[in-house]
Amino acid sequence: MNLKKYFIRALHRLQKGPGYTYKELLVWYCDNTNTHGPKRIIKEGPKKKLIWFFLTLLFASLVFWQWGILINTYLSYNVTSSLSIGFKTMKFPAVTVCNANPFKYSEVKHLLKELDRLIEAALERILQPTPSNSSENISPPLDLELWHQIPLVLIDEHDKDNPIILDIFESNQGAMGNQSTVGNETIAGNETIAGNETSADNQTTVDYEATCLLCVPQCSHQGSDNCTYRNFTSAAQAVTEWYILQSTSILSKVPLQERIRMGYQAEDMILACLYGAEPCNYKNFTQIYHPDHGNCYIFNWGMDEEALNSSNPGAEFGLKLILDISQQDYIPYLSSAAGARLMLHQQKSFPFLKDQGIYAMAGTETSIGVLVDELERMGYPYSDCTMNGSDVPVKNLYSQYNTSYSIQACLRSCFQNHMSEICGCGHYMFPLPEGVNYCNNEDNPGWAYCYSSLRSSIKYRQICIDSCKETCNDTQYKMTISMADWPSEASEDWIFHILSYERDMSTNVTLDRNGIIKLNIYFQEYNYRTISESAATTIVWLLSSLGGQFGFWMGGSVLCLIEFGEIIIDSLWITIINVISWCKGLKQKRAQARYPDAPPTVSELVEAHTNLGFQHEDVGALPRVEGLPPEPGTPPPNYDSLRVQPHDVLGPDSDTE
Amino acid sequence: STMAPGKKITARIKRTLPVKGPQAPTLSELMRWYCLNTNTHGCRRIVVSRGRLRRFIWILLTLSAVGLILWQCAELLLNYYSASVSVTVQFQKLPFPAVTICNINPYKYSSMKDYLSELDKETKKALETFYGFSEGKSKVRRSVDEWNSTGSHFFKQIPLLKFEDFSKTVIDLRSGQKRKIEGSVFHKDSSIVNSGDSNDIIGFQLCDANNSSECALYTFSSGVNAIQEWYKLHYMNIMAQIPLETKEKLSYSADDLLLTCFFDGLSCDKRHFTRFHHPLHGNCYTFNSGENGTVLSTSTGGSEYGLQVVLYIDEADYNPFLVTSTGAKIIVHDQNEYPFIEDIGTEIETAAATSIGMHFTRSRKLSKPYSDCTETGDDIPVENLYNKSYSLQICLHSCFQKAMVDSCGCAQYAQPLPAGAEYCNYKKNPNWMYCYYRLHEKFVKEQLGCQQICKDACSFKEWALTTSIAQWPSAVSEDWMLRVLSWDKGQKLNKKLNKTDLANLMVFYKDLNERFISENPANTLVILLSNFGGQLGLWMSCSVVCVIEIVEVFFIDSLSIVMRRQWQKAKKWWNGRKTERSPQVGDLERQGHDNPVCIDEDLPTFNTALRLPLPQDSPLPRTPPPNYSTLRLETAFTEQLPDTLDVGQH
Repeated sequence: MNLKKYFIRALHRLQKGPGYTYKELLVWYCDNTNTHGPKRIIKEGPKKKLIWFFLTLLFASLVFWQWGILINTYLSYNVTSSLSIGFKTMKFPAVTVCNANPFKYSEVKHLLKELDRLIEAALERILQPTPSNSSENISPPLDLELWHQIPLVLIDEHDKDNPIILDIFESNQGAMGNQSTVGNETIAGNETIAGNETSADNQTTVDYEATCLLCVPQCSHQGSDNCTYRNFTSAAQAVTEWYILQSTSILSKVPLQERIRMGYQAEDMILACLYGAEPCNYKNFTQIYHPDHGNCYIFNWGMDEEALNSSNPGAEFGLKLILDISQQDYIPYLSSAAGARLMLHQQKSFPFLKDQGIYAMAGTETSIGVLVDELERMGYPYSDCTMNGSDVPVKNLYSQYNTSYSIQACLRSCFQNHMSEICGCGHYMFPLPEGVNYCNNEDNPGWAYCYSSLRSSIKYRQICIDSCKETCNDTQYKMTISMADWPSEASEDWIFHILSYERDMSTNVTLDRNGIIKLNIYFQEYNYRTISESAATTIVWLLSSLGGQFGFWMGGSVLCLIEFGEIIIDSLWITIINVISWCKGLKQKRAQARYPDAPPTVSELVEAHTNLGFQHEDVGALPRVEGLPPEPGTPPPNYDSLRVQPHDVLGPDSDTE
Repeated sequence: STMAPGKKITARIKRTLPVKGPQAPTLSELMRWYCLNTNTHGCRRIVVSRGRLRRFIWILLTLSAVGLILWQCAELLLNYYSASVSVTVQFQKLPFPAVTICNINPYKYSSMKDYLSELDKETKKALETFYGFSEGKSKVRRSVDEWNSTGSHFFKQIPLLKFEDFSKTVIDLRSGQKRKIEGSVFHKDSSIVNSGDSNDIIGFQLCDANNSSECALYTFSSGVNAIQEWYKLHYMNIMAQIPLETKEKLSYSADDLLLTCFFDGLSCDKRHFTRFHHPLHGNCYTFNSGENGTVLSTSTGGSEYGLQVVLYIDEADYNPFLVTSTGAKIIVHDQNEYPFIEDIGTEIETAAATSIGMHFTRSRKLSKPYSDCTETGDDIPVENLYNKSYSLQICLHSCFQKAMVDSCGCAQYAQPLPAGAEYCNYKKNPNWMYCYYRLHEKFVKEQLGCQQICKDACSFKEWALTTSIAQWPSAVSEDWMLRVLSWDKGQKLNKKLNKTDLANLMVFYKDLNERFISENPANTLVILLSNFGGQLGLWMSCSVVCVIEIVEVFFIDSLSIVMRRQWQKAKKWWNGRKTERSPQVGDLERQGHDNPVCIDEDLPTFNTALRLPLPQDSPLPRTPPPNYSTLRLETAFTEQLPDTLDVGQH
């Protein structure tokens, strides 16, 4: 019904023509709006009118400009950080301990026998360039199969343009003639670091310019057409790298169970454990196989059981461990540094020891005070981080350990994925994608070349960096490390006795200073420092700032905006009505006016209405004109328009109801 | 038409925009008008309210609202220059920092013999006299024999003294005679003069060469410190006379120091190191110094991808008095930073692999007016003597050096030379040691003003280091490792390497996360204004318009009303004096709308137009028109002044 009424009224209005003019509307608006400026425009003299008009315009534009800035600020999604420091009961970090050496040499000797003999012979050749007959006579013939896959060569760069390549096991110099030309092309390889190898020094180290190089033939092991020589300025490094490549290839063929068996067992390695006042033993540690370090043991990983809490600072309430690394059983060529490798990390995360791990030296007591440095960030759109790694386009290979996402896991997975795509096999140091095997020299003869070119490829590194995202909650364990000699000379004797007895049930001392490590890991007095982010600009902030701006310049509010919108709608109405009446006017150009007298226009009515004169007057305010008799004058005019009424009712169309 | 165009325009302007005073005749009228018409909320209530109590309450409320606004806005203004901190973590390819490596011992002892033999002899002699200690009997005996003949000029310069009886008497080392102490006593080790009851305190005396009665005694609680400090003074004296080229030759070459080098999985050598001569540490080598314009970067974290070097530390060639520890010192710094290796270096042990994991943090402070820091150091009145970017350390050292040159006339050996100055040595500046010690004392006590002049740098990079040590080489790999490394070292070295001569160092990024801590302005002008607006709006629904209104009404209008009143009074008084007999007050009163004869045809009162007959021109007043004094627009005031009459008729 209402709708019908509304349409009828609208129709009538259209029929009658405009009741308002634009000017009237504007004047009405200015007079009645709640915004502060416009009222002034119509109230005072022309000079002030002008000033107020410009002021209002200026303020309006200021408001819009500042609104623009505010909205821009809001859309940039800034954050504010708050920092809190203190001590609270926290989850004790997961502690991973490994031996720096992955396998017991006594267990892997049979696999590495050939390799070790080869490297010993090679070292013999390198250190004494003139072959001594005695050594060759004693040893059985070397298995040069391994050698030919990745040989070690010496490059003599006395003559820069024509370097001489010497295969260590080729005795005759003549055979090098054709190889030297091959080397010539590739020697100035595109390695960034050793780029212009041949440019700078030449005379100074003449007597030992012979550089050790690693040649990795790709196609076949005889015709080395496509060779990359990896330069080493030091023989020690060349030998180590070469040995690692070879042993990786050998060990990758060994099944996992066997590899675990060859590593250090928990009961051999973890001699004593104390957590706070609670005794613990090797059974409290979770075994994990780490390709770099063999068997690693994780305390408080939180995979099966609840993570332990620590509610007291200080060494007495932390973890105390005594480890044995049995340095005598190290693989001599594989790792030259001896000690335990340990790392503190979050529960359910994979320990990346090469990145975050620290060493603990044998024969010392290492105390580690821990401060948990947390950074809690807001996700998209505030910063480009990932909550759980599900939105990262790299398949996380470490998920097979049931561990959470981390940037290291992502980078390694990314590398391994590239490796399995390009080289057709996976690198031994990283978990395998589905359906891919580890690289070894027999099945993938060119893998070492492929690997080293991939490893040094800046392009692939960048791809991985770009596709991996850091996690939003970044936890770091800040460590304060201090060391002391342990055991002291006075206590050495009984400590070794007890530990030997407990381990081997023997009365003899089976341990020594070179193998034994004491670790204390505990929370510091302040154990957390949390930086958490919160949005700097919320929608509430935006609204109050917008309101503040509008209010500051013009005293306006949302209602004022609505008023303004209303005026626009009204003026649209006026336009429509004007157009219609104009069309009507064209049709009935000569039509007679229906009324002899034109009804009062709204403008007149408005003027009368807005006239400040039509207000209640104080009687006393009227100045009496003295001397005039109180004659009865004309009765006061019957101004029905003087009554304050809404305009619409007053309008000419109101009588249609 | 005869008027000049300029005059015409002014006339037109005068006509269209007439300059008129305020309409309100009196101040109270103006206030009333203001209160009724202002956009601010409280004022209207004051006028409209009936009853004194109510009005009083409203005045109180309005005033307290004004007070609140002023208070809150003052708070906002005061807090305008505050900064908020944001921490961002970005995972990216990181530039590798410069790593400067020094041997702890600055110069090869064997090659320094020519310069230091005299000094060493005397030091040994001192040790023998004080402690009855001698190493290598024959040597000492020889030196004892020479003792009397050479005359020991080192001891003449700075006598070593042994104090007895709570520092009251001293025994001179050279003459062995006792004497009383004159002058002040400075303790290097403790600030208390009588440190415990150790009655043999060792020290030395520094005298003003120009005025020998001006002496200062420096005492140490331990002879170790005294001897070292004494040795160091002489050592600097000697070294200051040796030209830089010679010193560089006397120190270690890159081949001497670096055995192997490996970076980012690739081999590197001495060409990746830049030599840097440090006055106290001799030749240091900076990896990735950025000197040739390229800075290496890492895109993979972890120990394999960082810098791995094996250093050769020739322990046998150490100076026994100058340095007492063995190893190397390293510092991780930015390419533009000067390595203050003596201040913030990390020591590296021999026969061990030191693994240093780095975590990169970049910080940025806001400079003035938020905090008192400097962006480039250009605004600091201390000349930067180091050829590196500004830091607080650089400023302090430069400041001290400048003070040294100003007051002692020569430069201290450990810091770079300012233009036109030269290093102090005893021959040219016999007084420098005394002067230096005095100055250093002042510097430490912050009396030189350096600490006040120098400001923090606004942005700095920091590499947080996690250092851990492993045994290296391991027991089983020691044999082949040392053999191969000896071969690497080449034929120059005849002896077999010992593992205590070697140090393995690994410097790598733990992760490639860059933490960037930056300060941002907590407030911008936009936010300040919106907060103002919020306050104004909340308490009084006021805006800038209200402020302009207040200025308009309270300053311009009120002032002009007061002025006008005074002017009219003066005029009245003048007129009254002139024409006392002609009272024309009625004339004035008959003007305006109150005049019953007055016909104002222009008034837009449509009732007159519609209904009322036009009043005829009659001298007699007929029925007066309705007495609507308010019918005229804009007449909010009961009284009307002649000059405001036509305002509003438009």
